[in-house]
Amino acid sequence: MDVLPDEDEAAIQATAEDFLAAECTPALVRAAERDAARWSPALFARIAELGWLRLCLPEEDGGDGLPLTHLAVLFDVLGRHLAPVPMHGTMVGAITLARCGTPAQRAILPAVGRGEARIALAIQEADGSWSADALALRGRREGDGIILDGAKSFVDGFRESTHAIAAFLLDGAPALALLESDAPGLSATDLVTTAKDSSASLVFDGVRVPASRIIAGAAPLRLLMDLAAAFLAAQMAGAARRATERAADYAKDRVAFGQPIGAFQAIQHMAADMLIGAEGAQLLAREAIWRLGEGLPATVEAAQAKAFANEKCLAACRSAQQIHGGIGFIEVHDQQLWYRRVAAWAHRCGTAREHRRTVAAALLDQQGPVRLDVPLVAE
Amino acid sequence: MEFAFDAREDSLRREVQAFIAEELTAAIREDIDAGELGVQFGPIATAFFDKVRARGWTGVSWPVEYGGQGRTAMDQFIIEEEFGRAGLRIGGAGTGAPAILASGTEEQKRAFVPGCIRGDIIFAQGYSEPGCGTDLAGIQCRATRVGDTYVIRGQKTFMTSAHVATHIFLMVRTDPASRRHAGLSILLVPIDAAGITIRPLWTIQNDPVAPRGTTYGENRTNEVFFDDVVVPASCLLGEEGDGWNVAQRGLSIDRVGARRYLMSVLRDEDIVNWLKKDEAPNRALRADPVVRDKVAELWIEGQVCRLLTMRSMTIARRGGDFVHEASAEKVFAPEHGVRATEAIGQILGPHAQLLSSSPEAVEEGVFAHNLLGAFQSTINHGSVQVMRDQIARKGLGLPRPGKRGETV
Ligand SMILES: Cc1cc2nc3c(=O)[nH]c(=O)nc-3n(C[C@H](O)[C@H](O)[C@H](O)COP(=O)(O)OP(=O)(O)OC[C@H]3O[C@@H](n4cnc5c(N)ncnc54)[C@H](O)[C@@H]3O)c2cc1C
Repeated sequence: MDVLPDEDEAAIQATAEDFLAAECTPALVRAAERDAARWSPALFARIAELGWLRLCLPEEDGGDGLPLTHLAVLFDVLGRHLAPVPMHGTMVGAITLARCGTPAQRAILPAVGRGEARIALAIQEADGSWSADALALRGRREGDGIILDGAKSFVDGFRESTHAIAAFLLDGAPALALLESDAPGLSATDLVTTAKDSSASLVFDGVRVPASRIIAGAAPLRLLMDLAAAFLAAQMAGAARRATERAADYAKDRVAFGQPIGAFQAIQHMAADMLIGAEGAQLLAREAIWRLGEGLPATVEAAQAKAFANEKCLAACRSAQQIHGGIGFIEVHDQQLWYRRVAAWAHRCGTAREHRRTVAAALLDQQGPVRLDVPLVAE
Repeated sequence: MEFAFDAREDSLRREVQAFIAEELTAAIREDIDAGELGVQFGPIATAFFDKVRARGWTGVSWPVEYGGQGRTAMDQFIIEEEFGRAGLRIGGAGTGAPAILASGTEEQKRAFVPGCIRGDIIFAQGYSEPGCGTDLAGIQCRATRVGDTYVIRGQKTFMTSAHVATHIFLMVRTDPASRRHAGLSILLVPIDAAGITIRPLWTIQNDPVAPRGTTYGENRTNEVFFDDVVVPASCLLGEEGDGWNVAQRGLSIDRVGARRYLMSVLRDEDIVNWLKKDEAPNRALRADPVVRDKVAELWIEGQVCRLLTMRSMTIARRGGDFVHEASAEKVFAPEHGVRATEAIGQILGPHAQLLSSSPEAVEEGVFAHNLLGAFQSTINHGSVQVMRDQIARKGLGLPRPGKRGETV
């Protein structure tokens, strides 16, 4: 049992922190928001050069084959600096393909490692449910392929993607389709979120996917959704931690009633709770990611992490706004970048209510007594 | 990162579980429950604890030369956790032994540590006074050096195990001219020294008494008076005037560990396992979406408590370089215990007010007795207010407040 980064993980974390602290400034984040593309291709290219995209891909797919915990620390740092790059969907998609894909599907992975292929996840639909039971997008067989008709929503990073992985129903059961983002019949409408990053609704109008691009079965979708929730929770924990540190720095300088506001116990205690919230989310996310890396069931752990992060990381960023007073509400001040992004992330890849429903089912609908240190397995 | 115990630790846990399942009979339990504070019992329980000791499950992480097993802190955690889950307190956390190991002379280590492990030396903790608890810099109980002795005069309060202890781990002021933490010292005082008077302070758990497993179920603590008590100067632990640091070294070891962790989280398991009972009211409650959401929320917080504890264990194993982490655990876990206790009451409804002696009490009234005790865990051993100060100042570098009326 050792829940802190080991030497390798800590080294990657330190390198990533140095790099993003220098390169991914608030100015760059703002520029990406203003740009029509809503992301930073230049930063993503640098990240690809540094090899972050390869790190946890299998060696036979051109990766370095390191444990998934290395991505846990990277998402933490990406979150700290609000990096406007499509790492989340790309890594979730790539690891799902590496684990569940056929050799033909895995052929895209070397290009992922080089930053040339970027993946968006099309899971949720118009009702916004984060659940495999809510799929309505349908595939019908035609020749040696599948024709998709329906719609998706909340597809983050679709604009910057080269590929999308869409969850759909095939003969009444869940399946995944790997398709090109410019596939004929696929059209996108931009959504405008509090994060002001890219998110879209998609319409599938007779989109053809060859059979070789289909991954059938509920398990791959389950893995993809667990990875998505856990990685996003890790990223939120990093963002909340940095928002807390920034607020503490502000509180050391800002003076009221003759003292730095950070000397007031009301501010100190709020800051302590912010830190605990971010650290709790970080530990939960890391445990889920470690289990995913070990090939262990992790649906409950991912749900725990995202449910906790949604509430506690948003609270930390909101308290950071409180500590900044009025200036936190003003666009030119950078602190709001953390608040707006975490406010969006708290609504992606499942709400607290949905994730707690998963945890409750694993706790209450199975036989036998529970113990906190004995992992629950979702049905 | 490695979020799992290793194979050896897993097998140790199974061995302890099997031992408890086999050896801890109802008769032994009765004998233990009839004793006081899990330290005084009859011959049946004594024989049981001899077997526990024979397995090497006490003083697990303490050095072999003083009667310990010289094993890892994680082994100790696992053993204490399994016994704790069975409602038994073993091991030695919370005794004076860690502080004696850290600051004692060779003679003191030999005189006290093996006895703490065998269970025939029991320390009561004598810190709090009527005038101070959280801020021990206010200690007034005096010890005056007279030749080869100290003469102690003053009063302590909330000295929980004084009525069953053999010794007091006593914090006194040895330098009358000193202020705050300077001038404090630790004395290891025999409880039967002439001039010590012990008077009970009955808690709100006394009538009726709390069932096993209650958080802060103690029915009694004590006031202790020192009326020119003379002890040999060799009772001094560490340097004279360095008592604050001597005590800190003992406390920080006491703060991480299985006992405090279990105290905060056991009721998360209790409510889930209770809801899973195959009876009509339990079935109806566990089908209620509101109950399900709340129970899941508590469970997730319980997982955070577990992970914060494991983080402290990790830091301790890596050399003990704590910044704010033990304080974070000490805020989140007890407050979670309180949130869980109160939420469970609202799930159970009116039954949650029924104490152990009441007809229709649920699970011997443990939920009601937790309502009476859980909040105490946010006050003792460093209150959550002071712990938050530590997190903010050490973890985030926020400044100390200015003196009253003083501006910066
Ligand atoms: C059942 C029980 C067993 C105990 N056992 C022992 C024992 O064996 N040995 C022993 O020595 N003591 C023991 N105690 C005493 C216990 O350690 C104290 O009660 C505790 O330290 C709090 O001290 P106090 O009661 O004097 O409260 P105070 O110190 O007066 O605190 C009152 C309130 O003020 C708050 N406060 C204090 N300082 C600050 C600050 N800087 N900022 C914000 N808020 C602050 C506290 O958090 C608390 O909420 C026991 C108590 C109980 C109830």
